[in-house]
Amino acid sequence: MSVAVEINNLKKQFKGAWTPSLDGLSLRMDEKQVTGLLGPNGAGKTTTINVLCGLVKPDSGTASIFDKDCSTQQYYLRNIIGVVPQRIALFSQLTAWENINYIGQLYNLKKPVIKERGKHLLQRMGLEAHAHKRVGTYSGGMKRRANIIASLLHHPRLIILDEPTAGVDVQSRALILEFLKEYKAMGKTILYTSHLMEEAEELCDDVVIMDEGKFVTSGTPSALISQTPNCEKLEDVFLHYTGHSLRD
Amino acid sequence: MKKILATIAKEYILFRRDVGGMVLLFLMPAILIVVMALVQDAPFKDYQEMKFDLLLADNDHGSLAREIKLGLKESKNFNIIDSLNGIPLTSERLEQLLSNGEYRVGIVIPKGATAEVVNAANIIANSISEKIGMGSLPHREVRENTYIRMHFDPATKPTFRTSVSNALDKYITATCSDMLVNRLSKLGKTEGDTTTAPKEDFKSVFKGIGIKEEALTQKEYLKAINSVQHNVPAWAIFGMFFIVIPIASHVIREREEGSAVRVQIIPNAYRQVAMGKILFNTIICSIQFACMLAIGIWVLPMLDLPSLYLGLHPLVLIPVTIAIAYTATSFGYFAAAIFKTTNQALPFASIAIVILSAMGGIWVPVDLLPGAMQKLAMISPLHWALDAVHHIILRNGGLDDVAVHLVAMVIFGTALWLVSTYLNSRREHSF
Repeated sequence: MSVAVEINNLKKQFKGAWTPSLDGLSLRMDEKQVTGLLGPNGAGKTTTINVLCGLVKPDSGTASIFDKDCSTQQYYLRNIIGVVPQRIALFSQLTAWENINYIGQLYNLKKPVIKERGKHLLQRMGLEAHAHKRVGTYSGGMKRRANIIASLLHHPRLIILDEPTAGVDVQSRALILEFLKEYKAMGKTILYTSHLMEEAEELCDDVVIMDEGKFVTSGTPSALISQTPNCEKLEDVFLHYTGHSLRD
Repeated sequence: MKKILATIAKEYILFRRDVGGMVLLFLMPAILIVVMALVQDAPFKDYQEMKFDLLLADNDHGSLAREIKLGLKESKNFNIIDSLNGIPLTSERLEQLLSNGEYRVGIVIPKGATAEVVNAANIIANSISEKIGMGSLPHREVRENTYIRMHFDPATKPTFRTSVSNALDKYITATCSDMLVNRLSKLGKTEGDTTTAPKEDFKSVFKGIGIKEEALTQKEYLKAINSVQHNVPAWAIFGMFFIVIPIASHVIREREEGSAVRVQIIPNAYRQVAMGKILFNTIICSIQFACMLAIGIWVLPMLDLPSLYLGLHPLVLIPVTIAIAYTATSFGYFAAAIFKTTNQALPFASIAIVILSAMGGIWVPVDLLPGAMQKLAMISPLHWALDAVHHIILRNGGLDDVAVHLVAMVIFGTALWLVSTYLNSRREHSF
């Protein structure tokens, strides 16, 4: 199995921050797998995603996707990755369909392709009936689903999802997870962050636990549970490695 | 190109839905133009063509009063009222009417005014004739305190008083001069028989000396100096800069909601999206200016105001409009780039527009500003914009007359755009 993402000794400290966001992080992620990047608040998950997208330049270390360097080969990589950010990165004054149409055109997709993919994704995400309503009027769950659609229009090889189910109702969460499983079955590579351990346990082939900008441990959920003393579920493993102290 | 066109289409949708922004861009300047043209039309008429009721109390009943009344009646500025309900006005009644605010201005010609002017003319005529050996006219010592009194409604503005007083002074002086010329003519006739009397008509000699306004050249000919010619372009340019507010608001909103970062992670999209935004807003701003000019041409005449005249080279307004629109649009991006939130950017944008417009001569002509402010006006894009439009519609200028203005505005717009791009690149955009 080839390597999808490889991060070596990544360091990043933002101006004015007391502690580094990434403090020598190293990890590996295989292709055609769903990898969960887990960590408490402030662990450095979103910074890692920003580095992978080329939005944040690391102070040192390297990050590559499918053997292409994230800092120098952004143009190529941005065509093959789809990012579903934690924020609803959509034009709230536009309808879902107008967002799809515009973002599709920015990806240089032809109009019939945008129409076909947009229609399919809207249907799959249960938004077909609301396609012509402004995103700003959507509920939290609808916005999350629309956010996913906008990130998948160009059929990315690697999908990065930053807490895609944060703040959504049970129905929306179930739909999103079901959809991601379908994508996984299609052989796509998915990097996924979440605070919800049950969700990660259900969806991920592998999980990487990180804390305070550093790699902590990794493995399949079942292996981690069995290898960690007194642990019955992934949440126990997570608490075992990251502790019970509150994070701000 | 596809991304630019897609961005223009998307910006159009956003614009269509931003009712507040549309009102700000189109309705506000339209109201400004109509109101300011109407308001400032009055002072223009004060000085030029407005007709006032002028109360006149004639205590003299001589030729001076008769000549003054005749002169004022012939003028276009005054409607002489020397009697009310068939009763001749007295100075007491005149003062009462003015104090009540029923009339604005009145003059009282005192008893013996004609005699005093004739006496003064005789003294002058005698003084001249003494030197050239001609005869003399009867005269006496000059009496003090024989003034033609001018009274105003206390509520009238100083500018009004000055203009009316100047106009009246002109007629009274002209009448006195006429009387002097008449006395000199009379002096010539008293000297000898009719055959030796001067043939020249003194009046016609004096009429050869006067003031007459003429155009310098065809190019500098002003077709119409009126409030519309001054107000419509000034307030239309002011209105164009209102686009700074919706642009700053949209850009910051897109940054806050994260859609700007989404654009950033799409390959090769960021610059083209920015160009699409600039193009779209430049087009909207140009359309807005055209609408405001259309109001000046077709709507204001419906309100009894003159129609806007676009000069001999109206097509030159196209590049000028585009340059102004580009500058205004860039200023919007600059406001969005230097501030993080709309709460910071919008007050800055509003106040900056007012300051730059004041510096640029929108409110008060730059020539009337203090020296230091006149120099500072050069850094206001509104100054270059207004001066360019004035060249076209007031001075009938062509493209060569506004070339410097176009360059200045493009440099200003591009500089703002580059600074905005630099500031944006320094700001870390991330999810």
